[in-house]
Amino acid sequence: MDLFYLSVATEIVLVAGAVLVLMVDVFKAPSAKVHASIAGATLVTAVGLTIWQWDRVVDVGPSSGFAGMVQLDRPAVIVKFILVGVAAMGLAAAWEMMVSLGPRLAEGLSLVFVATAGFMMMGSGANLIMIFLALEIGSIALYVLAGIARESSTADEAALKYFLLGAFASAIFVYGIALVFASTGRLDVYEIGAFLGANIVLKPAVLLIGISLIIVGLAFKVTAAPFHSWAPDVYQGAPAGIVGFMAAAAKVGGFAAMVRILNVAFARYEFAWSGGLGALAAFSVVLGTLFAIQQSDFRRLLAYSGVAHAGFILTGVAAGVDGLPGVWFYLATYVAMLIGSFTIAALMGSPTGSGLSISAFAGFGKRSPVLAGSLAVFMFGMSGLPLTSGFVGKFSVFTQAWIAGFEWLVVVGLLASVAGFFFYLKLIVTMYFEAPVLAEAPGTATLKPEPSFVVKVVLAFAVLVTLVLGAFPSLLLDFVADALPF
Amino acid sequence: MDFPILTVLILLPAAAAVIVMLLPEERQELHLPVGVALSLAPVALGGLLFYQFERGTSEFQFVERASWIPQLGIGWILGVDGISVLLIVLTTILVPIALAASTSITDRSRLFIAMTLLLEAGLIGVFVALDLFLFFVFFEVILVPMAFIIGIWGSENRVYAAVKFFIYTASGSALMLAGIIALAFIHRSQFGVLSFAYSDMLALDLSLTTQRWLFGAFALAFAIKVPIFPLHTWLPDAHVQAPTAGSVLLAGVLLKMGTYGFLRFNLPLFSQATVDFVPVMAVLAVVGIIYGAAVAIVQHDLKRLVAYSSVSHLGFIVLGIFALTEQGLQGGVVQMVNHGLTTGALFLLVGMLYDRRHTKEISEFGGLANTMPIFAGVFLFMAFASIGLPGLNGFVGEFLILIGSYSTLPVYAILAASGVILAAIYLLWAYERVFTGPVTKDENRAVRDLGAREIAILAPLVALIILLGVYPKIALDVIEPSTQAVLDRVEATSDFEVPAVGRVAELARSGE
Repeated sequence: MDLFYLSVATEIVLVAGAVLVLMVDVFKAPSAKVHASIAGATLVTAVGLTIWQWDRVVDVGPSSGFAGMVQLDRPAVIVKFILVGVAAMGLAAAWEMMVSLGPRLAEGLSLVFVATAGFMMMGSGANLIMIFLALEIGSIALYVLAGIARESSTADEAALKYFLLGAFASAIFVYGIALVFASTGRLDVYEIGAFLGANIVLKPAVLLIGISLIIVGLAFKVTAAPFHSWAPDVYQGAPAGIVGFMAAAAKVGGFAAMVRILNVAFARYEFAWSGGLGALAAFSVVLGTLFAIQQSDFRRLLAYSGVAHAGFILTGVAAGVDGLPGVWFYLATYVAMLIGSFTIAALMGSPTGSGLSISAFAGFGKRSPVLAGSLAVFMFGMSGLPLTSGFVGKFSVFTQAWIAGFEWLVVVGLLASVAGFFFYLKLIVTMYFEAPVLAEAPGTATLKPEPSFVVKVVLAFAVLVTLVLGAFPSLLLDFVADALPF
Repeated sequence: MDFPILTVLILLPAAAAVIVMLLPEERQELHLPVGVALSLAPVALGGLLFYQFERGTSEFQFVERASWIPQLGIGWILGVDGISVLLIVLTTILVPIALAASTSITDRSRLFIAMTLLLEAGLIGVFVALDLFLFFVFFEVILVPMAFIIGIWGSENRVYAAVKFFIYTASGSALMLAGIIALAFIHRSQFGVLSFAYSDMLALDLSLTTQRWLFGAFALAFAIKVPIFPLHTWLPDAHVQAPTAGSVLLAGVLLKMGTYGFLRFNLPLFSQATVDFVPVMAVLAVVGIIYGAAVAIVQHDLKRLVAYSSVSHLGFIVLGIFALTEQGLQGGVVQMVNHGLTTGALFLLVGMLYDRRHTKEISEFGGLANTMPIFAGVFLFMAFASIGLPGLNGFVGEFLILIGSYSTLPVYAILAASGVILAAIYLLWAYERVFTGPVTKDENRAVRDLGAREIAILAPLVALIILLGVYPKIALDVIEPSTQAVLDRVEATSDFEVPAVGRVAELARSGE
């Protein structure tokens, strides 16, 4: 049996980093600086290995490891790239919050690494059980992260809610796996694909229910409506610094697994699932947009806008294999804007606090022009304004959905995008057009936050991703063009 | 292709915006002069473009082609023809004027100037883009600076107006995007490759049903922008709330993106649908002409009056375009430029009055001709230009439109002609109430007349209005081949035949 360690090298490094952080913490109780350098070294090594993996995939083509349990191919490596970026940005943005946790800093760090490794594995897992394990590794780490600021009751509430609903979703997912196994007798996605391609399932109901349950389980993770109900509470309640990472990582992992399972194992049944995904997409964009319009809390707004974005990405997934480049582009650029937005939310509120009223942004454009400008870029990007990466992402998934015969979905998506301007503009209006809040009332948002250097770097990076990939999308589109899970 | 003049024209204002933002914030006295000075560079380049533009051909000129997003068949394709070259020149001229008139803006002046310059870059982009995707990008991107200009530096109700402006126009363009995507895929199904290039779109073979749908998708976006009645409700709000520079550029250039869009896309690409939709568009145009003028008559607010007069004037342009005759199209294009000059000037004048008296209520004024004679003279001049007094530019455009539409849409042309009379009523009546008679209010006694700076701002507009009034050939020579080509294209791809009198050449021959 060829183990082919390179296929999981990034995950290994991340887990090793997690363990190292914990060990060092036990034996030496070091300063935050030591932890920072271990975290930095881990991430840099992870990036290096991911580049090596990419190199190999480009040269040799896809290959499998661990007896077919994992697949090393372009989508897997792209997911690793995105997630390493998400982890790095998320950690940098959350650093102050993490340091303020004192002795729990090491826990937090290792949880972030473990979660990242888990979601990466969702992208490379080629066996349904493997994908389930990866999902659990990532999710459980996130449940704990949500509650890492134990002092705050809202964080506890968020963590508990996240855990209960997440566990429920995992159960649905694993039940779906069981039904698929019952009707095909296989767990390896490539074997399932081959089996279904060569045989006709006489009683497809069990299989189709299994596929639906798998989709539902993953829809929970990516916050697609109507399986999104946990997201607003968790996004609002969990510690501000780390929410961006949590939201982004779970979405990337969920979509990565969905793309591989559907296009490889159930390619034969695309006629069945693409319609379902289309409906899910339409429901998500409409519901996410309508609810986002009514929010007065910035973090809840981001949660509902995230539901809408899940719908847009699903539009691309529904389009089948051709939609995938658009999906990767969308995911990669959306998570940058998402983390960027949450980073600013964290700066505005107290780092471990919860909730952030939109009205706190009144006059932000005047008080902190640079931060407000960055947030404006993220908002315009998420709303899909041309010359931002958000527009290119939407455009790519829409064009592919149109080819795939989802014209109605494209029109729904376009109308929802316009309606989306309402709430993204609400923030712009509050920041720039409204008079600033003059006095700093106790317990409310920080009026003029002073970002640290790393936070500035994170924001600058997110702004650059949004604008540069908006103006020159070819840079990334070339990279994701052939990222198909075969 | 030696010098990429069009790309430079887009990048120059954008670069100027960056330079302005880099000025030290506390040196406020520098911001506006530097901004105005920088905005003069595009004027020079625009002049060069106009000078080098080859007359007598309808081909696109100064064409630049570069690949931009090859994966999606999207190119950076730019070029100008006789229709767009004039609008570009108009844009470059109005920006420094609008900026120079913005001395009253002291709050975040750098940002204001930068936004105005970005707006200019976007507007030029709209007029030169020959790739539908690129066109859409510019069409949509200009919403941001414009919404900021209204929302930050506007008057009391600015937030409402800015958001309304943004949402209204963004909703229109969303369906246009669907139309653009559809066109690209039709190209793919007919030619095998995805393309958004304008020249490729002309080669498509579109069924009548497809044409009607696409016409609708594009027309909605443009109709909101123009705005065509009944989609005009965002315009008065936006104009009244916007600062002077915003109003000048909004009326002067932004609205023209709609009429330009009709000419560039709807007529050539969906010609049969255009022919079928002529009755609808003509009715809406005429309703707009009369409704806009009628509502303008009863306004108490001088700026609102000018705003509604825009609805009326733009109705003329739409009527001219959908008359589908050469005179109509030429008149439409000429009138786009004219309206930009005269209405821009009227907004400047209202702004100057507002700077002095901080009100735009007509009833607050009276007898101003006694205290500010030069101002009154310029206002009357602009009013006459707007009404269409022979010898001034408005006459040329409206006359051509009325002639052009009379040969294909006689009833509408007669109805539209009443708009000219209504224009005389609202503008001259407003002049009477504001300027003539004795000074009734004490505040109006000490009002300053125009200063040297203000005269310098208005002088180029006055000169251009007279120039286009007495020698319209300078513009018509440029326009003619392009409008002729549009009309030829409509004739060739639909069952419509332009009546002999609808062709300038034919008309001239029959007169011999």
